[in-house]
Amino acid sequence: MKKQLITLRVNGESCELAVEPQRTLLETLREDLGLTGAKEACGTGECGACTVLIDGKPILSCLTLAIEAQGKEITTIEGLAQGGELHPLQKAFIQHGAIQCGYCASGMILNAKSILDEKPKPTREEILKGLEGNLCRCTGYNKILEAIMAASVGKD
Amino acid sequence: MRIPKFEYFCPLSMEEGCSLLYKHKAEAKILAGGTDLFVKMKKKEILPKVVISLKGIRKLDRIEWDDREGLKIGPLVTHEALVSHPVVREKFDFLSEACFKIGTRQVRNMGTLVGNLCNASPSSDASAPLLVLETKLKLVDLYGERVVPLEEFFVGPFQTILEPQEIVAEVRVPPPPRFSAGSYEYIHKASSVGESLVGAAVLLVMDPKDSTCQEARIGLSSVASTPIRAKAAERMLKGKKLGDKIVREAAQAASDEIQPRSRPWYRREMTKVLVERAIFRAMEKMR
Repeated sequence: MKKQLITLRVNGESCELAVEPQRTLLETLREDLGLTGAKEACGTGECGACTVLIDGKPILSCLTLAIEAQGKEITTIEGLAQGGELHPLQKAFIQHGAIQCGYCASGMILNAKSILDEKPKPTREEILKGLEGNLCRCTGYNKILEAIMAASVGKD
Repeated sequence: MRIPKFEYFCPLSMEEGCSLLYKHKAEAKILAGGTDLFVKMKKKEILPKVVISLKGIRKLDRIEWDDREGLKIGPLVTHEALVSHPVVREKFDFLSEACFKIGTRQVRNMGTLVGNLCNASPSSDASAPLLVLETKLKLVDLYGERVVPLEEFFVGPFQTILEPQEIVAEVRVPPPPRFSAGSYEYIHKASSVGESLVGAAVLLVMDPKDSTCQEARIGLSSVASTPIRAKAAERMLKGKKLGDKIVREAAQAASDEIQPRSRPWYRREMTKVLVERAIFRAMEKMR
């Protein structure tokens, strides 16, 4: 199929690129823009490794067409640190040992960010419900939960 | 896993969308949220030559409320939008709860109610509440429209009456009857993310004076080839004062009228439990 010229706004910067319609946002981020933080695992929307934020909301970039992500603000894990300083959630994940193999981490952190943006002090249950779409194959859920709780407490 | 190639169209009006679909018919698929469509395409279960996205058409992501006509839900309204919409939460709390149960946070941000209905999974969570709310769907094609009850929309597992040239343009949920309350109960299937093993929605209309049940509606998902109403159980409750005995008998009747495609014993037992629970919960809400 013919490639289409599109403009994506990723982590505050606009980039123009030519993509075929079937190209997913995940493929575009990783292969065209070199942003490899978002991962592909299941490819069918069950694991959450490909999670990125679109207009602040977590979505599955493996089931989103790049051409349909135009005109929206896309945030990937690479866009969280500000001025060389890690985001409080990233710091909390490191401090609490919430990263093991790291494959789920970018999706976990971005989804956690959206949970805390929506409600700065969620309950334990609300965090768990919010994270149901992010699987950690190392099963490090307790430490991930601790890290997010710590980051939410730090919001005072 | 890559999505197989297709030709992409993004019409700017429903007329244009219908005209494209009329031209390509069964070779085309409509794209709303993509959470079902692209999974099926990646698994090569379906390979449409053409994908027609609805995203370029304005106002399709709206939820409108009118006291007389009820709710109108556009085809791009996501599950998340229904979960957080103030009118849906207030007047259709059990529909909102069922939508909150669907998929995951990411899926709810992407997947649409209409897409979920068109997928016609027998286990579709929103279907049971929508059935007891006597929901109708507006289907359009290039030459006109028809309005069909949701109950008639499903014809089999993953099968609907939708013709290849038709698009579901709107979900219409009438206002809940006066002196009514609804509830939704479910249990998870352990083998799959977020899928229900049994879902049971109940809507009770009660006489405010003597609290007899004027009307009962029971919707069940994941217990037959399509989401269904348990009509025999509904008839047992009508005109009765609801106590433990009659509720248990109605739950047994509902369990008898289901036709599970697998794990029949367990599904019948759970239908009994969930219908009973849902009736009691709806009764509590009336108080």
